[in-house]
Amino acid sequence: MNGKKKRFYVLGGVLLLAFAGFSLASFKETLTPYVSYEQARDVNRMVQVAGALDKGSSSYKNENESLYFTLKDPESQELLRVRYKGLKPANFEDAISIVAIGRYDAGTQEFEANKLLVKCPSKYQGAEVKTYS
Amino acid sequence: MSQILNSLSQLYLPGALALWCALFFALASIWGYSLVLRGDASSLTFARRSYNFFALSILLASLMLGLLLLMRDFRVEYVFQYSGMDLPAHYQFAAFWAGQKGSFLIWLFWGTALGLGIKRAAGKAEPGVMGIYTLTLLGLLFILVRENPFVMLRETPADGQGLNPLLQDNWMVIHPPIMFIGYAAAAIPFAFAMASLWRREYDGWAARAFPWALGGFLVLGSAILLGGYWAYETLGWGGYWGWDPVENASLIPWIFGTVLIHGLYMERTRGRYRRANYVLAALTYMSVLYGTFLTRSGVLADFSVHSFVDLGISGWLVALMGTFAALSVYLLATRLREVPTAPNEDPFFSRGTFLVLSTITLTVSAVVILAGTSAPLLTRFMENPGQVGPEFYNRVNMPIALLIALLLAFVPYLTWKGEPPREVLRKMAWPFGFSLALTIIAAVWRVHDVFHLLFILLASLALASNAQKTLSKLRTGGMRTAGGYLAHVGVGVMLLGFISSSAYDQSSKVLLEQGVPRKVEDMTLTFTRFIPRDGREKERLEIAVEREGRDTFMVYPKLFVNDRTKQVMANPDIKSSPFEDFYVSPIDYDPGQPRLQLAKGESGSIGGMEVRFTDFDLEVDGVNAMTAAAAGRPMTLGANVVLTRNGQAINLKPLYRLNPATGAVETPPVQIPGGGALFVSGINASTGAIQLEVTGFDIRPKLSIDVTRKPLIQLVWFGLYVVLAGGILATISRIRQMRTLENLPP
Repeated sequence: MNGKKKRFYVLGGVLLLAFAGFSLASFKETLTPYVSYEQARDVNRMVQVAGALDKGSSSYKNENESLYFTLKDPESQELLRVRYKGLKPANFEDAISIVAIGRYDAGTQEFEANKLLVKCPSKYQGAEVKTYS
Repeated sequence: MSQILNSLSQLYLPGALALWCALFFALASIWGYSLVLRGDASSLTFARRSYNFFALSILLASLMLGLLLLMRDFRVEYVFQYSGMDLPAHYQFAAFWAGQKGSFLIWLFWGTALGLGIKRAAGKAEPGVMGIYTLTLLGLLFILVRENPFVMLRETPADGQGLNPLLQDNWMVIHPPIMFIGYAAAAIPFAFAMASLWRREYDGWAARAFPWALGGFLVLGSAILLGGYWAYETLGWGGYWGWDPVENASLIPWIFGTVLIHGLYMERTRGRYRRANYVLAALTYMSVLYGTFLTRSGVLADFSVHSFVDLGISGWLVALMGTFAALSVYLLATRLREVPTAPNEDPFFSRGTFLVLSTITLTVSAVVILAGTSAPLLTRFMENPGQVGPEFYNRVNMPIALLIALLLAFVPYLTWKGEPPREVLRKMAWPFGFSLALTIIAAVWRVHDVFHLLFILLASLALASNAQKTLSKLRTGGMRTAGGYLAHVGVGVMLLGFISSSAYDQSSKVLLEQGVPRKVEDMTLTFTRFIPRDGREKERLEIAVEREGRDTFMVYPKLFVNDRTKQVMANPDIKSSPFEDFYVSPIDYDPGQPRLQLAKGESGSIGGMEVRFTDFDLEVDGVNAMTAAAAGRPMTLGANVVLTRNGQAINLKPLYRLNPATGAVETPPVQIPGGGALFVSGINASTGAIQLEVTGFDIRPKLSIDVTRKPLIQLVWFGLYVVLAGGILATISRIRQMRTLENLPP
């Protein structure tokens, strides 16, 4: 192997390593872990929380074009107030489970969702989920 | 014994019999080919006939399932689960691949059909190739016998459960079956490669497998195109690609397949990459199995983001993956070192080096997408498992796309021996001019991000230099060798489409009141009317769009409730013009009733006011309503309601009077300060909820929509068409080369 070739391999290796590092960093940064409501309040990062819609808790406020609702953990019965800037998704009221992706806003004490996944009651298998962002 | 008889009686016997026959003949065929491999040439006829009977059995089983569906024989559980009386014939047939069992059967059907072709085309490599290929089919068949689609119910239901409304679409008829041809085809290069290693016959497999690899690449690419178009045009997901696990499961094998065809090209023209190609063939097939495992085993179901149901086949899928992974690793580990390969003597600025770099880059892309898709598995053992969203894929693939565009731009003008860079650049004067001009136009338009401008520069350079080369090839009559360049033109076009349609789309969510025009940027949108259902045509919403100084047109997105599932379904409408798509996706429709139901403590909105029902007043005018009711006397209930109008809270108490003797109900309206009146129009005694109604308000139907303008999105479709056209040219030329090879004396 001549010197020129060697340099080329070293450069390639360095570039690959740099890209691996970049990918890993992106992976860690964009990873949205599933957490409990309690954890969601503690960590200041993008997370996802799931729960059932607390019936009758949803309302739409025209002044900031946001949807407000409360999620209820089916196991612990814990509640989490969620704010979502956007219109109410179809099937929202009938959803058996709602996944909200976003972060907790300590100022308003609300979970600020920028994406909602609405899971509908259905016997079907396959993609039943509509994503709103 | 009685148990066996019992389970037999629960099967549709002709169908189950066909599957068992298939199992028998598949095993017989593998045995026959293994005898040939051990030197017993006379077993070849036996092995071939067994394979033919295997294929015939699968054909019969598929025909039977298709027929049972068309006859709507709901005794069969699969027919009952996925179809119904309300489906037109073509959807009824498409229910074939609506569930897991049927999709494994269609996969196997294409697999056996392709095998008939491989048997003829494999030449002297036939015994090894067909042995391994049939083994891959056997794996699917095991799953199918275990998860038998011919299970019957104890009695015959009058109607089936219907087809998932999302799947009732023309794309459903065409997209999945094509996808499964692509999946089935991924096993072909794998079988050629593994047989070559097994037999230690390292020459010739690349030439034989090349057209199959290209064919698989074409079919899988077409299936991905159709799937993207389906998602974009009908499902209303707003885009053609969502980096969903199901989508990624088809993209990853496609990328590995792309790398493989470039590796095979290197092997055929330069004698390099001979070892890598074995690994690439294995990776392509393993990624199909892994994708199937991810999306069908239910490992992602814990995340409740996508409901993939575990049908109890995850064990089988793991076993299938494990078997073929072990086989590949064993063969690669024991034989790879023996494979003779030409040393790398290509200088840096040569075609060889650039090809190697592109294959590495694409492999990295596939690995990164694989890692992202596996995030729930990778993080499973962490405290909080999670997943990554589209942002991850977009971010990591951005530098990859830039590098690919750069490499593609130079490839047409690089030779194997290498040329001084200045010479190459001189030849690329025209493409450079074109891409600079395009980049300047983009910058003037509205691209100001440096990365995006670089992206446009490189993508259009790749487009132009490959287009120039394609044209010169066509002029000199080298049509057959132009395939690769043409495909690369398509890649350049697609890259431009990706950036313009995803980074420069403008989307806004708009709430429209019927008849009230609303301005969005330079457009005026008016929701004109709701069009009720008419035959098979679903409920539509008519929206007039007026573009300032241009034209007025109507769009008709659909929003309807599926009769069976009561699920709200939305279909977008798209107005395409040459430079952009205007995409309207309905979100919610409110027919505009002046009524509102509220439980205690609940609030809602009506007539532009927020209404909150706090509780009942049981002591109106000092008379307890409960005591009065118990005594059979007229009772009066008051509803404590808080209205918020223009930021001002107003307490109201509309009354509900009931005379149990006569059953007469009186609900006097109360005036709302600022105009209008409110009254209780109903009470639900069991839930304690009330229905409030207002009068004197102009309440109109309301429609909320998502309006998106996607500039130059047509480039994505057009580019992929060009890639596929280039692939077709390349396939034709490689089939010819394979034929000449077969004619040579051995």
